[in-house]
Amino acid sequence: MKIILKTSLLVFAAAIFFAACTPVEHKELGAPRNIMESISGTWKLTKAIQVDEDASKKGFPFKELDITTLFPYTNFLLTLNLTNGGPGTFTTTPGSSPRIIKLASGNWTVDNIEYPKVITLTSGAANEKVTLGGYPVGASNALKLKVERKDAGTGKLLISYSYEFAKQ
Amino acid sequence: MKKLLYFILLVVTGITVKAQNPSFSPATFTAEDEVTLTIDVTGTGMAGAVEAYIWIFSNPDIGGGADGVTNGNWTNSSNAAKMTAAGTNKWSFKFIGTTMFGQSPAQLKSFGFLVKKKDGSSQSPDYKPYFFDPLIFTPTMLRVFPARVGSDDVVTVNFDKTYGVTINEQRMTPVSATVTVFDETGAQVGSPLTINARSTGTSIWSASFIPSVSFTPGAGRRLNKFRYKFNGTVLDPGGVTTTVSSSETEVVFTTMQ
Repeated sequence: MKIILKTSLLVFAAAIFFAACTPVEHKELGAPRNIMESISGTWKLTKAIQVDEDASKKGFPFKELDITTLFPYTNFLLTLNLTNGGPGTFTTTPGSSPRIIKLASGNWTVDNIEYPKVITLTSGAANEKVTLGGYPVGASNALKLKVERKDAGTGKLLISYSYEFAKQ
Repeated sequence: MKKLLYFILLVVTGITVKAQNPSFSPATFTAEDEVTLTIDVTGTGMAGAVEAYIWIFSNPDIGGGADGVTNGNWTNSSNAAKMTAAGTNKWSFKFIGTTMFGQSPAQLKSFGFLVKKKDGSSQSPDYKPYFFDPLIFTPTMLRVFPARVGSDDVVTVNFDKTYGVTINEQRMTPVSATVTVFDETGAQVGSPLTINARSTGTSIWSASFIPSVSFTPGAGRRLNKFRYKFNGTVLDPGGVTTTVSSSETEVVFTTMQ
């Protein structure tokens, strides 16, 4: 009698346990993020940080400096236009800001159209490369670009500039 | 047609590819590392020489320099300065900074050298400055941020009176910094620039500028180095405000890519 009672209780508990497991319907993830679309547009510089990469690597003091207000950086405008959904033309309008990108206008390309990391700005034979620090998607709507400065003799990374832009 | 294409390719390659001269192995090194430099002397007074000797010196143009222990006399280089042939017009030499100059890593910032005949009758131009990677951070009264800068960078000069040497440097309240820039011939570029100093710490004052924005070198010249000092005020024994300046220091621009 005891065995029957125990077995019945086990079967009852198992029935409740499995009945609780109802299948959950997974929702569609939606369309993939269009990084090109998010990068395009006119951007205004809001923050500029200068980093002594060599000091950072060695753990020295005085590693970085916020230079946003030292010079009128926040006047700098960058416009990235799309052509057929891909990189197209660009213009830079420094105003009274230091020219963080020397080229005034031309074409821009990326190393990977879906997950770009490096943007190459080209004007005639001249080109400049900037590294994307973050995509302006989701919660973050800032475009983050990084410019590296290397010793021409050794190729060693000495200084980097991190720039944050807000969409206009 | 094919030959013409090859010719164009060769010319374009020759124009666009510029080998680093001198080259170093390893590419970056501290004053305590062994480094091998290799130099191509084609087009210099040492082109075609059958043997070559190095004449090496530390901290060129910034003071506190020393001659290499292997130099010997100008008219009779020591055998220890003899370079190793590394190809047509190419010579290499291996050394350790601290051993070569008899200076500590904190004293050794950079070095330069030239290639010469043993008797000094022919020589190459100076090759300088090449920087040692610092091993330790050494606080100083005058400091530039970042530690190595190009002429297009934002340059911040700093004055920390904690490390002042003279009484005026220890007591002064800085109000400005004066920057003087020179081209590669040593000629002063434009007029000295005086920038307002801002307090950035308990005992630190800073001033920032962008060399290529504030100074324009003459045609065919480039900005090569700058000197800076801080200016401020102290009260003299009579309570009168007096203007004083710190000592001056020199920074050579790094060529950036």
